[in-house]
Formats: sequence, C-alpha cells, structure tokens
Amino acid sequence: MFALLVYLFLIIPLIIITGAAFGTDEYLRFPPQGFSLKWLANIFEVEMFVRTFKISLEIAVLGTVLALLVGIPAAYGLSRYDFVGKNFLQGFFLSPVLVPGIVFGFSLLNFLIIKYEMPVYTSLLIGHTVIIMPYIIRVISSSLENFDYSIEEAAISLGASKVKTFFVIVLPNITSGVIAAFILAFINSFNNVPVSIFLTGPGISTLPIQMMSYVEYYFDPTIAALSVVLMVMTIILMFIIEKTLGLSYFAK
Amino acid sequence: MALLSLKNISVAYGKNVVLKNLNLDVEKGELVSLLGPSGCGKTTTLRLIGGFVEAKNGRFVFNGKDYTKIPVHKRNFGFVFQNYALFPHLTVFDNVAFGLKQRNIPKNEIKKRVMEILETVGLKDYADRSPRELSGGQKQRVALARALVIQPDLLLLDEPLSNLDAKLRVKMRLEIRKIQQEYNITAIYVTHDQEECFSISDRVAVMNNGVIEQLDTPQKIYNLPRTEFVANFVGFENFIELELEAKERGGGGFYKLKNGQRFKVTHFNGREYERYVKGAIRPEEIDILNEGGGKETNTLKGIIGISTFLGKHYQYVVETEVGRLLVNGSAHKRYEKGERVTLYFPEDKIVLV
Amino acid sequence: MKKNVYVYLLLLPGLIILLLFLAAPLFSTVFRTFQGNEGLTLAKYIAFFKDSYNRGVYIRTLKLALLTTLIAVILGFPTSYYISRLSRRARGLYIIFAVFPLLTSPVVRSFSWMVILGKNGILNSILLKLNLIEEPLRLLYNEFSIVIGLVYLFLPLMIMSLVGVMENIDEDLIEAAESLGATRREVFIRVIFPLSIPGLIVGSVLVFTGSITAYTTPQLLGGSNTTVLATLIYQNAMSLFDWDTASVVATIMILTTVFVTFLINKLSSRLNA
Repeated sequence: MFALLVYLFLIIPLIIITGAAFGTDEYLRFPPQGFSLKWLANIFEVEMFVRTFKISLEIAVLGTVLALLVGIPAAYGLSRYDFVGKNFLQGFFLSPVLVPGIVFGFSLLNFLIIKYEMPVYTSLLIGHTVIIMPYIIRVISSSLENFDYSIEEAAISLGASKVKTFFVIVLPNITSGVIAAFILAFINSFNNVPVSIFLTGPGISTLPIQMMSYVEYYFDPTIAALSVVLMVMTIILMFIIEKTLGLSYFAK
Repeated sequence: MALLSLKNISVAYGKNVVLKNLNLDVEKGELVSLLGPSGCGKTTTLRLIGGFVEAKNGRFVFNGKDYTKIPVHKRNFGFVFQNYALFPHLTVFDNVAFGLKQRNIPKNEIKKRVMEILETVGLKDYADRSPRELSGGQKQRVALARALVIQPDLLLLDEPLSNLDAKLRVKMRLEIRKIQQEYNITAIYVTHDQEECFSISDRVAVMNNGVIEQLDTPQKIYNLPRTEFVANFVGFENFIELELEAKERGGGGFYKLKNGQRFKVTHFNGREYERYVKGAIRPEEIDILNEGGGKETNTLKGIIGISTFLGKHYQYVVETEVGRLLVNGSAHKRYEKGERVTLYFPEDKIVLV
Repeated sequence: MKKNVYVYLLLLPGLIILLLFLAAPLFSTVFRTFQGNEGLTLAKYIAFFKDSYNRGVYIRTLKLALLTTLIAVILGFPTSYYISRLSRRARGLYIIFAVFPLLTSPVVRSFSWMVILGKNGILNSILLKLNLIEEPLRLLYNEFSIVIGLVYLFLPLMIMSLVGVMENIDEDLIEAAESLGATRREVFIRVIFPLSIPGLIVGSVLVFTGSITAYTTPQLLGGSNTTVLATLIYQNAMSLFDWDTASVVATIMILTTVFVTFLINKLSSRLNA
C-alpha cells in the first residue's frame, strides 16, 4: 500500500505533464480543457527547439561513437588482462561519473574554451564523450565478464590472429552489451544539463538547455508536449535496453 | 494419541495441487522421514507443519491443539534449512542465541544454553566466528544448534545434508540421529536420499504426487513395498502382470502369467486379494539357469540381450514372453548375447503390488 | 588472465582523453584557487567563507541534501522491501517504473513539478476548489520545492540500490527467524534492516552527493534566495564572471562530495565490524 503511494508519487507528475500537453489552453493546467495537438505542432514552430534537438542528437551520437571506439578496447583490456596498476586504471576510467557535472562543465569552459580557445562545438563533444565513457566501460565490462575466453583461445588455436579473433569472435558475442552501452550513453548525453550549460555559444546549445531557458520566459504547454516526445523516446530506448541488457542491471 | 496429526490436508498453488487429502500421524519421540522424488510434496508437507505454507483444506493438530492457523513464530518448532539459512551478519553465538533472545531469557542463561548446545555439536571454540568462515558441515551444525537451543516441541529438517559431500553426510546423519534420541525430540526429516532416510528414521513416508504412498518402518518399505511406485523407488525393477488363480492360507497364492505360466507367491505384504496384480522383483533376486533348468512353476524362458558389467555382477537385459526383464548374474560367469536361458523367480522374493 | 604489454596500448587512447580532458581541466580549476600573488595560499577560501551569503549557500546546500536523503530513505526503504519480496515478474514491473523516471530528462522531471506546484498549478487549484485555502499558496521557488524536486529526482536511485541488496536476502533467513519466534516486526529489525545496510549506504551516498551537486532542479524549482552550490558556480561564472570564486565553489563541492563519501563508507565499515 505504502509502496503503491510512493509509486504514485513517481508516476503522477509524468502523467500530469502528458495530460497538460494535449490541452487547448494557452496556459498549463490539469485536467486539460479539450484535446488538441497544437502544442505538439508548436514544438516545430519554435526554431530553436528544432535546431538544438538536432545538435543534441548529433552530440549524443558522435560522443557515444567516440566513447565506444575508445571504450571498447579499454574495457576489453581491463577485463581480459592482468597488469600492473589495473585497479587504479579501472577506477580512473570510471571516475568521470564521480566528478560533479557542474564542476566538470565549468572546468572545460575554463580550460578548453577560455585557455586554449577551442571551438564551443568541439568542447561540447569532448565533454560529452568523457562523461559517457564510464557507462560504456561498465556495461561492456559486465558483458565481457559473461564471455568465455576459451572460445577466443579456440579461435587463436585454429589460426586466427588476435585482432581478427577480436572482431570475429569477441565482438559478435557482446553485441547486446554494445547496444545497451550505446543506448545508456546516448540517454545520458542527450539529457545532460550541467556539463552542457557551460559549453554553449552563439547558435550552439542543446535541447535540455534550450528547454530550461524557454521555461524561464514562457509557461505554455509547448514544453509539456516536448516532454511527451522525450518520454516516448525514453520508452523506446528502455525497450531496447530491456531486450539487450535487462533492466534489472540498474539494481546493482 | 499421536503427537502430531495432519488430517485431510490439501495444498494448492493456484490450479497446481501439491498435496491431496494428506493424512499423517507422528508419535512423540519418533523420527519420521518424508521420502520421494522432487516435486512429490515432501517439502511442502514439512513447510506446512512449520507454518510457512497454508492449507487449503484440512487440519493440523499438534499435542491436542489445533495448530492450523497458528503463526510460525508462535509454534516453537525448530527448522533446519537445506542451505542452512544462517544470519550472515551475526556470529555463530548470536545465530544460536537468536531464538533465546526472542524469548526474553536472561543474558547469563542464554550464554549458558548456547555454549552447552555448541559443545554438543562440537563447535564450542567457534562461537565468535562469522558463518562465512565455516565449512558446510560446521554451518549445518550451527543451524542444528540454533534449532535445538530453543527446546523446540518439534524439529523439522529440510534436506539438511544435501549440500554436503558424501562422507560428511554419513557422519552428520549419525550425529543428527544421536542428538535426536538423546534429547528425545520428535523430528520430521525430508530427504530424497534412500540410504540416508533408511539409516536415520523410525518410520518412513514415501510420497508421490502429493499423497503418502506408504508409511512404514524402513525395513518394511525396503522389503515389502505396497505400491508399484514405492517398489520402483526402492529398486524393484521388474514388474510382471499376474492374474489370481488360487488363494493360499496365510497369504500368497498361485498366479497365472500372460503366457500361461504359473507363479507361486508366498511373500505377502498384507494387501487385500485382487484378481489382477503385479509381481515386483529385484534384478538380483532372479536366478539365471541354463536353458530348461529349474521346475515347472516360477520360471520363464528368455534370451540374453545387452549385458553390462557392474563390478559385483553382470546385469542382463533378458527378453521373455512377458517382456523385457533386468536380471543380475554372477560376475564369474558371463552369458553371451543371444544365449537361451531359464529365469527362476523364488516364490518368497516376489512382492505383489 | 595473461600478462601483456599490449594491454596498455588498448587503454592508451582512453587514458589520453581522460588525462587531457578530465584530469587537466579539473586540476587547472583546483590549482587556480590556491594561486596567490606570491605562491600558494588559502586566501580565496578564507575570503569565501567570510562572506555570510556564501556560508548560507553552503549550509543550505548541505541541509537540502540531508533532508532529501532522509526523505528518500524513509520513502524508499519500505517500498524497496515490498518490491524485493515480490515475484520476479511483479518485481520487474516495479523496476521498470523506477527506471523510467531515472532515464527521463531531469528538465522534464523538474518541469512537471512546476506544473504541479505553480501559483496556478494543479495543487493550488485543487486546494482552492476544496475551499481549504483562500489564496494560492506560494509553493514554488523555495526550499520546499527544491527538496520535492530532488526527492523526485533521486528516489528511484535509492529504490534501485536498496532493491539490489534486498532481493538477495534469502527468503530462508526470514523463515528461519520466524521459526525461532520472531514476529514480522522483529524480523525486520533484526534481520532485514542489518542486511540492507550496504544498499542503504550506496543509496545514501548517491542521493546525498547527487543532491549536493544537482544543478537543474534547484535552477528550475528554486528562487533567487535559494541559491545552492551548483547555481552559485553558474552565477559566478556566467553572470558575475568571477572565475576565481566559481573555481573555489567548484573545489569546495568536490571536496565535500569526496569527504561525505569517505565518511559514509567509514561509518558503514564500523557498523559491519
């Protein structure tokens, strides 16, 4: 009973926001009056939403791909081999998750943009790649844990080179882990606020940042409609995670 | 009157009926085993007595009182779990003391009783250890001590030895039996291991499909099974269909086989006479004779099929007119495949089921 | 596992990225806070804490984080226990509904509370309709709304941490305790609670450090007089262009999270000893 109330607390705000998105009022209220899709349509009227949505998508995809390129070999090295300083390096690779995002974002602004005059877009991409890395390493490592390395040894004994073995034997066996890592990293990049907030410039911003500044000035259901779009996206991605990694991964 | 009786107990999970109108009486001081394959309902029966499972129908009477609805924590039964279920956050001492603390017993009394029981199970020096540091056998002793220290009215053991290796199992079952008799405690013991069950029990209840097929002493269960299931379970591999021809005084009688052959059966396990029955016999009780040997009755002609060497003897699959039979023969002489033999079935080794 | 020099080659690209773009920027931020005209100094920290406004922000941040953690524990503990005892399937369903908010944008989640708590929000309109209040209550842009927002943000994290530990508590242990005479309440106090402490620790560290460093929620749900450390960094950097102070606050935030994590872990190892 208590658990049910707690869950109502978790779910109801999201239901309310959904309801508010389909009202006809100029103002946010619940229960909404009437039903209309005009706020959903209005998202596309606000040019900045469309633009930042694209940027967020780009950054999330590019950042995730970069982090995968760097993260998969690292995760493989960390779980396959034993070497000096392994524990330390493992900790180091997971450390971005421990650094407060707001501190990291501020430091990147300071260091990359101000000090080394790097372009804003590049800095934003770098920042996202770094914060994504721990998710990649953790998910890939945990799917490598279930991988039986004797299969790999069998392939090598049959004459395959080490590199070829990795691509032909190891990688196909951890595909679901890679997909799950991709999705998780994507979500975290796409939703990020504290790092992105410092790394915006003329014409460059991300969707969450744009939403935050919109809310400061307008209070119409456009944001609610946008929220619904984002939630639908989350549901789809969650479905993929459930199919690949299993959602119980989060209870660890 | 029995100390414990289950009266017409039924248990079902949804549509899945686990126990059907089960009846069981246990006398004070007895150790009764529930024996059977997995899924037969033995653990459910034990958990019902323990109070972890609710009956759909029927009553559970203990010591003259209706216990059907009494909650677990008021029953005062000791329960020993298959995987020990020791509290990982407590020391051995605190594990054993758990039940006593629940009963608001003074501290020094708790200490005295815990140390006494730890001495009984041979773990006096382990009181301050954590369960993690114990071997499987030691864990089981702690679990036993924890269940015994509360001076339970009934001790329930759920496959307590199944996680131990074979040698330790033999040692531990002797110990459990010794302690049970020393404390004169009534106990119910669930196992799927026949030898373990026979060695430890006063009486054995063989269960199948949610009913007790036979409740008897280990000797009777082993020698005189009363149903086909029990017979099969204790190693009667051959079942021959029989039709009653003539009764004999004092049990037994003459029976006709499908091929017209006659069998005399003297051994009788107290069943009512029935026209159509089955005669069960162990592979090692059938004698192999050269073709044409033996008497008219209680013999069957057969042809040797596959043979397997089992160390003490050869085991043959023999094709006969009433079907395929498993027969053990001496290790000194090996019959060849295709050889014609006569099988002799001693009249006192056939059990009617 | 094998020894292999090539393994460092596998790690190298990642290491370079992390050193150049994580370690170096952070070091530069922390380093400048100790930089004075002549060598290293704590002057900037002294100046920071001398200011009563800054002290207030620091204390408020800690207070709100503590409150959030407490509420998350109170709500999360019984809920997680309930979930952990459910069948596999039902448990999966509850986990889905906890993970979903966790993966939803924090902007969306904070925004939903603006809709609920606003002056013309749902809560006020309900209360007005029921004639419980004459005028709309001011529920938004204060500490109350920040705490609600933070609890909403982090409760799923607490639940997941606790469920992860609690579902591994063997049902047999509960039955063993019951068979030894423990009532449901006593089972909870003497068996469930002590065995859940690791999950409680992890959950509390996550929620507390998360609350200290959260930016989105206090920015959206807080007002001008409910500044916390995260919003203070932003203000100093982006509105006042006071990079030094922003760096000081950033360093204080890092030190506080490290210290709190260390403290809670220390506490737990003492509890377990």
